[in-house]
Amino acid sequence: MKVSMNWLKRYTDIPVSNAEYESRMVMSGTGVEGMEDLGAELENVVVGRVLTCENHPNSDHLHVCSVDVGDETLQIVCGAPNVAAGQLVPVAKIGARLPGDVKIKKGKLRGVESQGMICSGDEMGVPAELYPSVGAAGILVFNEDHPLGTDVRDIFGLKDTAVDFEILANRPDCLSVWGIARETAAVLKTPLRLPEVKAEEGGKGDIRDRVDVSVEDIDLCPRYAARVIENVKVGPSPDWLRQYLYAAGMRSINNVVDITNFVMLETGHPMHAFDLDKVKDRKIIVRRTRPGEKLTTLDGKKYDMTGAELAICDADGPTGLAGVMGGEESEITENTREVMFECASFDRTGIRLTTRRLGFRTEASGRFERGVSPRTVMTALERACQMVNELGCGDVVPGVIDIYPDPVKDVRVDAPVKYIVSRTGVDLTGEEMADILRRLYFDVTLEDGVLHVIAPEFRQDIEGKADISEEVLRLAGYERIPSTGLKGETTQGGLNAKLKRHMTVQDILTGLGFYETMTYSFISMKSLEALGFDRNDSRLKPVTIRNPLGEDTACLRTTMMPGLLKTVGTNRRAGNETGRIYELGNIYSPDRKTDEGLPVEKDTLALGVWGGDSSFYTVRGVAEAILRRVGVNYAIVPAAEKYLHPGRRAALVSRADESRVYCVLGQLHPDVAEEGGMDRNTFVCEMDLETVFADAKPMGHVEPIARFPQVARDLALVMDEDKPLGPLMDHMKAACGPTLEDIRLFDVFRGVQVGLGRKSAAFSLVLRAKDHTLTEEEINALVQKALKAAGADGAVLRA
Amino acid sequence: MGIREDLEKIGQELQTELGKVADTQALEQLKVHLLGKKGSLTALLRGMGAVAPEDRPKMGQIINERRAEMQEALESKMRELSLAEKERRLKKEALDITEPRDIPEIGAVHPTQAVLREVLDCFIGLGFDVAEGPEVELDHYNFELLNLPKNHPARDAQDTFYVDDNIVMRTHTSPVQARVMLSRKPPIRIVCPGRVFRADEIDATHSPVFHQIEGLVIDENVTMGDLKGTLDAFAKKLYGADITTRFRPSFFPFTEPSAEVDLTCFNCRGKGCRMCKGTGYIEVLGCGMVNPRVLEMCGIDPEKYSGFAFGIGLERITLLRYGITDMRLLYEGDLRFLRQFR
Repeated sequence: MKVSMNWLKRYTDIPVSNAEYESRMVMSGTGVEGMEDLGAELENVVVGRVLTCENHPNSDHLHVCSVDVGDETLQIVCGAPNVAAGQLVPVAKIGARLPGDVKIKKGKLRGVESQGMICSGDEMGVPAELYPSVGAAGILVFNEDHPLGTDVRDIFGLKDTAVDFEILANRPDCLSVWGIARETAAVLKTPLRLPEVKAEEGGKGDIRDRVDVSVEDIDLCPRYAARVIENVKVGPSPDWLRQYLYAAGMRSINNVVDITNFVMLETGHPMHAFDLDKVKDRKIIVRRTRPGEKLTTLDGKKYDMTGAELAICDADGPTGLAGVMGGEESEITENTREVMFECASFDRTGIRLTTRRLGFRTEASGRFERGVSPRTVMTALERACQMVNELGCGDVVPGVIDIYPDPVKDVRVDAPVKYIVSRTGVDLTGEEMADILRRLYFDVTLEDGVLHVIAPEFRQDIEGKADISEEVLRLAGYERIPSTGLKGETTQGGLNAKLKRHMTVQDILTGLGFYETMTYSFISMKSLEALGFDRNDSRLKPVTIRNPLGEDTACLRTTMMPGLLKTVGTNRRAGNETGRIYELGNIYSPDRKTDEGLPVEKDTLALGVWGGDSSFYTVRGVAEAILRRVGVNYAIVPAAEKYLHPGRRAALVSRADESRVYCVLGQLHPDVAEEGGMDRNTFVCEMDLETVFADAKPMGHVEPIARFPQVARDLALVMDEDKPLGPLMDHMKAACGPTLEDIRLFDVFRGVQVGLGRKSAAFSLVLRAKDHTLTEEEINALVQKALKAAGADGAVLRA
Repeated sequence: MGIREDLEKIGQELQTELGKVADTQALEQLKVHLLGKKGSLTALLRGMGAVAPEDRPKMGQIINERRAEMQEALESKMRELSLAEKERRLKKEALDITEPRDIPEIGAVHPTQAVLREVLDCFIGLGFDVAEGPEVELDHYNFELLNLPKNHPARDAQDTFYVDDNIVMRTHTSPVQARVMLSRKPPIRIVCPGRVFRADEIDATHSPVFHQIEGLVIDENVTMGDLKGTLDAFAKKLYGADITTRFRPSFFPFTEPSAEVDLTCFNCRGKGCRMCKGTGYIEVLGCGMVNPRVLEMCGIDPEKYSGFAFGIGLERITLLRYGITDMRLLYEGDLRFLRQFR
């Protein structure tokens, strides 16, 4: 909220520098976004009188003037055709600054010395809002009298600073000059001089003869007050009023509308002015709309009503949206003769729902949404009438309409001094607290260590003693809060299971050269469809967001793949030919729900490897390394994911229960890779961390090192090309039992020597008994067992 | 020719050859040539039959002595040559130790996670437990229990993503606090890190997905001073002993009193720079004493217990920490960016 410093100073003193004022306000809870010196670009321009004006000897359009600026008379060469002796004009003296970083220097124009410049409104950058005649051609001529030498900023209201205050959500009362003045006075301990609000009635008759007001939906309008002004003279506002509005960032419209805006800025209450002659049957009804009703607002837009909005109606139906915008029909014009001022309190929720539905906000609706107290309505209304008196733009008709069936009561809080000390940690006395609260206009009685407090009527945020403690603390100063250690029972801190899990995985992958990436939990439906899931795959039915920002935030990911693949694609386009990345995060189950009805979130790891010498076995090896490190017993089985290469995809599953899938991995399907601009050699893995870690075996006792020698026997076995080696090795291991300590594959050979469509695999069997040295017979017997098992799988000893 | 002469000749031959051999292999051959089964000295011994029997012992002794001498000479030469050979070999094996090769690439955790680890380390050291909760959350926990009833205007500021009327993408990690308060008894000391969601368009400082770390302490006699002490410890641990906190009054529906906390700018150490816009301070987090209404709604007696809560934006402190100016870099996953965190 922007406020003119001059306006503020009408109501309190600010005897400190701008910088200190800002700091004091910020440290007591009133934010300051910025301060703007309105006349910063207009320096050393004063009022002068043109004494003489003669033609320039060497020019047909320049004039040589002598100008009295109070303390001296200057010779100025001026090119404006409208300059004449006797005029009162703005004079930029030598050394003056004008907008656009223009500096006035002594100079000669066609041989004649000029000691300054007579300015146009344009050259001074003065907006028409501040001084309507600045728009005229040529130099600006003041029509009214000013002492010679007067700084023109005083005339234009530019010797002012606009302060942009940032008001906290709980303090709508500070969205007003009076509110800020109250805070300023409390913080700086300066006197507060709010005006005595009193309107003089000068009109005839009674308001009730002029207008009939009724409120049908009191839940949305707890208070509605009105005053009528007759003999209205609509016209421009005086300079000072225009200047205050300008500093606050508002345009001057006419005196009547300006009064409503002025009062809104001063008191925080939005107001509305009706041309009473245009109100059908002079009837005002405040009620909910009816479905199907239509309404045209001040800005000429038509809206269909639903029955939920609160409208201001006349005998013909809705004319304005209560608290949001008035109607076109009853707008104030030059011909308006009789005005009704409305000052009301509308329910914040009602206003909020209306503006949300219609998709726009106004200054008034914004204020009602944040909360306008019904208790201070009458003050604002009377202030408006007082302004009418002051500007002499009409007569206040006797009588007030004030519909307020359920007046808000005083908020009383009992706050023990001890409570405030224990909450804030600041050692203040009850007297100090009472003093602070009184400065903030609370009514306080201190009795037996308890502050009995009544909140001022403009404060709607005070509910209990915690609020009182904050009021005391913010004026005492947050810098007084001591820095103390936690007391009480010692607690044992620690990580939770999920973060422990993540750290284990992160550490393994960091060591293996992987970089962690992060993508959004949101994905587009398109990115899911690109993975080619079967039509009935539940992953194609993600949880959706009702109000997404766009298609990229439309769904919650049911797989990590879209994000991972997007990152791989980004890297390829960035020229990163090879890389290893991973992402940890939740996927959101489309069909499983928690007891509370929330989608089950599954802690998931995704791996991506591309380019260089990476292969299917790279990503499988990394997945296996994680499973081994964690300690799960897994088997490698075929997988069916469509986004993977049909011949290069696998799942690692629990050996004990193959339905427990730890991860699915493989080479990206060439079609998917091409579509996403990825390397054909892209390998990915998606791992269900919760399942993996649930099956993790904690490390048990440690085996002693075997003392008897090991024996190695090498076998070359020939079999069909498509025979998988993993199960073959498993079968040999099973056949030999624990004496077969290890079986290693050390070569795979394909060639005519072993026959077309056949391959030869060379294994090294490592044999060792725990309790004796193996005899030759035992060794041979074990090798025979292994061969027999291999034979059952169709693998024979290579000739 | 007598044996003595032959012996002499062999001796001379040895001397001459020893001077010539250049490597251990040649020396080995020389040894065989002289002392081997078919060697000259062996042949000499075999010729002992021709020596008069009375001279044999004496001659045998002489031959054996000479043989020992020769052997010693050969072995000494052998040692000399092997040493030289070893040295030659080592010299030949010398590498260009500056040639850049074979650095195994170690990866890196995400920058936000690196900072998260530091933050958690600090609070775990202070006795805080880590707690987490669902990212898709009930309106009840995300808003209502935190003193943000339906249609409260402060909800607008949080630009919520809705799944349906009752389910939202959590807008902060505060619902975890509510869940913990409802399920545990004081004393409670927790930090809750996690993903949060706001309907903000993506730009250099906004993202629809980001992370928060919230802290909560509930116990008897917890004061705002304890909050300041805790945050001071956090600031010093993360940014250095000369960093201090500055509390400014603020407003949050779930705390009362509330504060915005600035830290001494860790770029200029408080002198004023571009990063802190010349103020010497950087706004880092929000905090306050838990609103008694929140305690009450979460089943904790506000007359007996008090507590504080604070919330830190993980991305914000990460950006500040590394001087990153565009938040989007954190979510693009470009390796040229991530490799800088090795």
